[in-house]
Amino acid sequence: MSLRESEIKSGPACTTISLGNYRFSDPPDPSKWADCVHCGMCLESCPTYEQTGQEQHSPRGRVHLMKSVGEGKLEITEDLIDPIFMCLDCRACTTACPADVDVGGLIEEVRGQIRQAIPLTGWKAFVNDFFLKGIFPHPSRLHLLGSLLKLYQKSGLRTIARKTKLLHIMPEHLVEMEAILPEVGVPVRKKYKHMNVIKAKGETKHTVALLTGCVMDVVFSDINEATIRVLTRNGNDVVIPQNQTCCGALHVHAGDRETGRMLAKQNIEAFQHVDRVIVNAAGCGCMLKEYPELFRDDPEWREKAERFSQKVEDISKYLHDTGYEKPKAELNVRITYHDACHLAHGQGIRQEPRAILSSIPGVEMVSMPNADRCCGSAGIYNLTHPEMANKVLESKMQNVPEDVELISMGNPGCMLQMAMGVLKYGRNQKVVHTVQLLDWAYQKEDGKEVRV
Amino acid sequence: MRKKGIQTNDPHIQALARIVGGEKSILYKKEDLIAYDCDGFTVHRHLPKAVVFPKNTEEVAAIVKYCHEHDLPFLARGAGTGLSGGAIPLNGEVIISLVRMKRLISVDLENRRAVVEPGFVNLKLTNSISDRGYYYAPDPSSQYCCTIGGNVAENAGGAHCLKYGVTTNHILGLEVVLPNGEIIEIGKNGIPDPPGYDLIGLLTGSEGTLGIVTKITVRILKNPEAKQTVLAYFDRVEDASQAVSDIISEGMVPAALEMMDQTAIEGVEAAAFPVGHPKDIEALLLIEVDGISAGISEQIEEILRICRNRNVREVKVAQTEEERARWWANRKTGFGAMGAISPDYLVQDGVIPRSKLPEVLKNIQQISKKYGLRIANIFHAGDGNLHPLVLFDASKPGETEKALAAGSECLQACAAVGGSITGEHGVGIEKKEEMRFIFSDEEIAAQIDIRDVFNPKNLLNAGKLFPTPGRCVEVKREKKQRQSL
Ligand SMILES: Cc1cc2nc3c(=O)[nH]c(=O)nc-3n(C[C@H](O)[C@H](O)[C@H](O)COP(=O)(O)OP(=O)(O)OC[C@H]3O[C@@H](n4cnc5c(N)ncnc54)[C@H](O)[C@@H]3O)c2cc1C
Ligand code: SF4
Ligand code: SF4
Repeated sequence: MSLRESEIKSGPACTTISLGNYRFSDPPDPSKWADCVHCGMCLESCPTYEQTGQEQHSPRGRVHLMKSVGEGKLEITEDLIDPIFMCLDCRACTTACPADVDVGGLIEEVRGQIRQAIPLTGWKAFVNDFFLKGIFPHPSRLHLLGSLLKLYQKSGLRTIARKTKLLHIMPEHLVEMEAILPEVGVPVRKKYKHMNVIKAKGETKHTVALLTGCVMDVVFSDINEATIRVLTRNGNDVVIPQNQTCCGALHVHAGDRETGRMLAKQNIEAFQHVDRVIVNAAGCGCMLKEYPELFRDDPEWREKAERFSQKVEDISKYLHDTGYEKPKAELNVRITYHDACHLAHGQGIRQEPRAILSSIPGVEMVSMPNADRCCGSAGIYNLTHPEMANKVLESKMQNVPEDVELISMGNPGCMLQMAMGVLKYGRNQKVVHTVQLLDWAYQKEDGKEVRV
Repeated sequence: MRKKGIQTNDPHIQALARIVGGEKSILYKKEDLIAYDCDGFTVHRHLPKAVVFPKNTEEVAAIVKYCHEHDLPFLARGAGTGLSGGAIPLNGEVIISLVRMKRLISVDLENRRAVVEPGFVNLKLTNSISDRGYYYAPDPSSQYCCTIGGNVAENAGGAHCLKYGVTTNHILGLEVVLPNGEIIEIGKNGIPDPPGYDLIGLLTGSEGTLGIVTKITVRILKNPEAKQTVLAYFDRVEDASQAVSDIISEGMVPAALEMMDQTAIEGVEAAAFPVGHPKDIEALLLIEVDGISAGISEQIEEILRICRNRNVREVKVAQTEEERARWWANRKTGFGAMGAISPDYLVQDGVIPRSKLPEVLKNIQQISKKYGLRIANIFHAGDGNLHPLVLFDASKPGETEKALAAGSECLQACAAVGGSITGEHGVGIEKKEEMRFIFSDEEIAAQIDIRDVFNPKNLLNAGKLFPTPGRCVEVKREKKQRQSL
């Protein structure tokens, strides 16, 4: 029995559950910090420690701080916010840690406490409320935003905005974002709204559901299209449950666990009639697999969440494990692969995407040093902590080999961030999703024009 | 959001902040300092007054000078992976963190040496030169994170030190800031073994009590032509120990000769880098030989023969580099892995004559029984450097004290057979009392005399290395000195 459980059980029934100076419900799980032996083997894996050299910005230091609050030695104050929120939640430390300490999980739980103790104000509150609460959970608003963005890109407004220096009044990181946003297409959720199922080409071997993602489907609908094409080509019927919603990762990372739970419940119900949920965004996939963590105090939903999380798989691992048709057309490109944190560290998926890429004829893989180092995207981290995000990006870009044409990866957030890096550091690579490359190879095989 | 600027009226903090160039290079708030209240040794904790992050030697010297003039206690810190408490600010020290001084200054392949700043991480040196066929030999298990400055201070060893020697055998020159702020250079130009007293030898292993190292010239070695690794499982600890003795007495010098016992194996297999070792064996040996290709397979054959003679259950040679790397990752993360089977551990660091291995291991088992605490053994068997890991739960009242006592008794067992109380982790806070197991009062006083030459005010890392009652001698002498001034 963990300490927390014992406290809950021994306390009088009417008291609120609290742990040391964590005074709100859903406090962090002390058995997670109990595993930490303070050995420091995680230090060099941490991008924020690399940048600052300061241990309160290291995994070991963060665990120690969080534990100190739990033991009542430290209060939750403004000065705690920096160390806890500067964390990228990249999970590199969990990979490095010999004792498997779940630092990311702890950070999320503690952020939940801090956000309740010290609510957000100012610009960060705006970003948080506007995007996380106002837009992401609502498909119709997201689609509207997508249409506006399209209007902006297509109508000449973009040119006007750029020419008139209208962009100069926006914060710098938003301007950078604006520059690299891909052309907006039609969200697949909208496009296939009236189709119960997108049939497999040839014989149906499996039926899978696709998590379309919230921002993903607006900004990267072409990746969703590619995913659907690749799945159907390999004998999968694809369904797109219409009542699915945003995965909630951004909310949970930001400490808004309540909204996270609400979204999780909606997704668990939306996907209850399928056996497989395929995800092409590493951050979302990782979150779905971790839904049980959100319901530690709710046995009924916990069980549902556990059953649900078993069904979730990343597209690359799914294709790799269930078998896929090896493409025959040659692509003739030199590429390098970036491990998205929530794929490599979060889900332990490293070899599968590489194997898929290498199986495409004509693809020459060039390995990237420190490929599993965070790029600084980390959800909306690049909006809330632009300075650190930029430093982390800079050090990432230094590792991107000079002589490759494409950088492949399995997470849309990373794609935006890396595209920004390419632009900022005058590089000339294109950023692609692993599944897009496979799709292109198939299309070329079918005699279609591809734009590699 | 945090307010900008220095938020305190403390004149010392303000002065130190000016030296290092402002708020981004100094910590002084409790929330930031807590991460610095201990190192890899967690039994004692104390908050520092501040942590400063100098960028270069001049800033280190200026900080030290300021502390010296204002009688502020101070100490150096690298990655804080030390296991004996050397970097713990027992007296509320100003911590001088060297991690931002992390440049590889130069590599001179022709003369086989490299110059690094003290915060440069051990493994990064090998990683930076391996493509050119070179490496840095001392390889503590903490090499992924620990700094070369910290290695010099602790005279760190590692799995491969059996053949290649510990840190001190690889240091050619040092730049040091003395406790009064003066900058000195010893071993100029990296010429090995300069005439006069061996000051490099004295400073290496002085546990940060004689000066702060700000630049290090190290020896680098050419990669061995060939390398082979053997893993051997034994049903009985005695057989494994005998095999170790046999290998050494045959005149072989393996690059590494490591041992883990049953409890240790349980830990590493439950943790992040399992290999699939059987759980019911009493001990395993990890043996590596390297050198020129000719002769390697004969050595391996010989080792296999010795293991079989000693009733090995299973013995195998790594077939791929990947397999070899997996075996080593499992071994090198062994201490941290104990977190998977115990909330806390205390690692001891005794040295014994190899022939006494079975006897001492048996004694350690007795100690484990006596205190009712599990003790895992992961160690450098080849050079008789034991690492008993006492597993305990600090949240249980009294258990920390019991663990400390058990650890101390393990060291006593080592000293009793003519061994020593530390092989590579240093004395620090942890083993200062145990210094009495091997030194008399006079011998300790003589060592304090040496320290006083460098560190007369004892502001630098005070309260480490020498036993507390020894301080009576110290205090008396300090008084005498003051009177004679
Ligand atoms: C999991 C684990 C495994 C380990 N394995 C080994 C091993 O195999 N072999 C081994 O020898 N050790 C081992 N250690 C112990 C530790 O890693 C070494 O002692 C290492 O040398 C400490 O380096 P650091 O940078 O962490 O120094 P710190 O812990 O920061 O400091 C250690 C001491 O050195 C002093 N110091 C630090 N930098 C300087 C400097 N620039 N100038 C002067 N003094 C300085 C400090 O004041 C302190 O007294 C291990 C530790 C852990 C946690
Ligand atoms: S988080 Fe893991 S690696 Fe880091 S100090 Fe704790 S136990 Fe060691
Ligand atoms: S999750 Fe990433 S940023 Fe956060 S402590 Fe771990 S390594 Fe550092």
